[in-house]
Parts: sequence; C-alpha cells; structure tokens
Amino acid sequence: MKNKIKVYRAMHDMSQLALAQEVGVTRQTILAIEHGKYDPSLILAAKIAKLFQVRIDDVFLLDSIEE
Amino acid sequence: MMKRNYFFLLVAFLAFIEVAIFWISVDIVDPLPSIIAIIIGILIIYLARMHIDEVIQDERTWKIAEITSLRTLQITWVGLFLFALWIIIEALGEQFRHFNRTIGIFGFRLLAILCGIIVLYVVLSLYYNKKFGA
Repeated sequence: MKNKIKVYRAMHDMSQLALAQEVGVTRQTILAIEHGKYDPSLILAAKIAKLFQVRIDDVFLLDSIEE
Repeated sequence: MMKRNYFFLLVAFLAFIEVAIFWISVDIVDPLPSIIAIIIGILIIYLARMHIDEVIQDERTWKIAEITSLRTLQITWVGLFLFALWIIIEALGEQFRHFNRTIGIFGFRLLAILCGIIVLYVVLSLYYNKKFGA
C-alpha cells in the first residue's frame, strides 16, 4: 500500500512526532508507514485521514488500484 | 511525567541492580533478597510506566511482538523436540539394550512438556478464535 502522509504532513506543516502524538502511536510507526514498511490498521488510517480532513483513500492507495 | 528514554534507562539500571542482588543472593545462599528485589523492581517499573508521557507501545509494536513470539515458540519447540529425541535415543543405548533410566525419563518428561505446549497453544487459539468472531 502506498500513501501520501508525507505530502499531507507538509501541507499541514506537521512533524512526524506531532502526527504520531495526535494519532496516539510512536514516531517510528509513522516513519514505517511513510516508507511503506508497515500498513496501518483501518482505525489508524481513519484517524490519520480524519486529522488531515480527507477521505482514507485520499491518503492511502492500494498498489493494484494505482496500476 | 517521564520521557520514554528515561524509562528505558531506569529499566536498564534496575536490571543491573537486580543482577547484582541475585549475585549476592547466590553468594550468601539465601533466595530472599532476590525475591524481594524482583517484587520491588516490578513495582517500580509498573509505577514508572504509568507516568510516561509518550506512547511506547502501539499497533506496530504489538504486531512485532506477536510475530517475534510465534517465531520464538516455533524455533524453541523444534529445538527442544530434537533435543528430547536425541536424549531418548542416547538413553536407549547401543542397539536399544541398555536403557539409561534417569536420562530417558528426562527425555520423556521434556516430550510431555512439549505436548503440553501444543495443548496450551490449541486451547488459546480456540479461545482467541472465538473472541474474534469465529
């Protein structure tokens, strides 16, 4: 799964640590998601999308859909 | 409130103290200091953990713990199973004529514990299967 967290973070001028604190995870988890090494749970994905005030599929993209 | 890194430093310091007390315990041949130290250590870690202002565990760390635990169980089980078989074969002796009772019983007990682990795994698996909707 690919994601645009880094883009949305930049748009909201938010650090990885700030985002992690907002959604209740460690900074390492945000880093792992951004690098595509970890796929978040539906709840975490929803929290992140809600924080950026967008839909989940605006932030997270399935590889097969992209292709 | 406590930072996460201070918490890990505290845990490392406590572990060092626990080892030292265990060493003294062995030296004076009295298990009491070790038992008291372990109980106090667990209490201190529990209290310190309640005062951390950062997230130290989340869904990713839980997933890592799950996979690590499963792999550890699998590797340990296979290793101990092979060890138990080797012990039993050794106990049976050359051409199965001279059974070494002490070593043999140890091997069979080890096999029984390994069977117990499988039973526990199945029971817990059924429980969590039911808990999560099966």
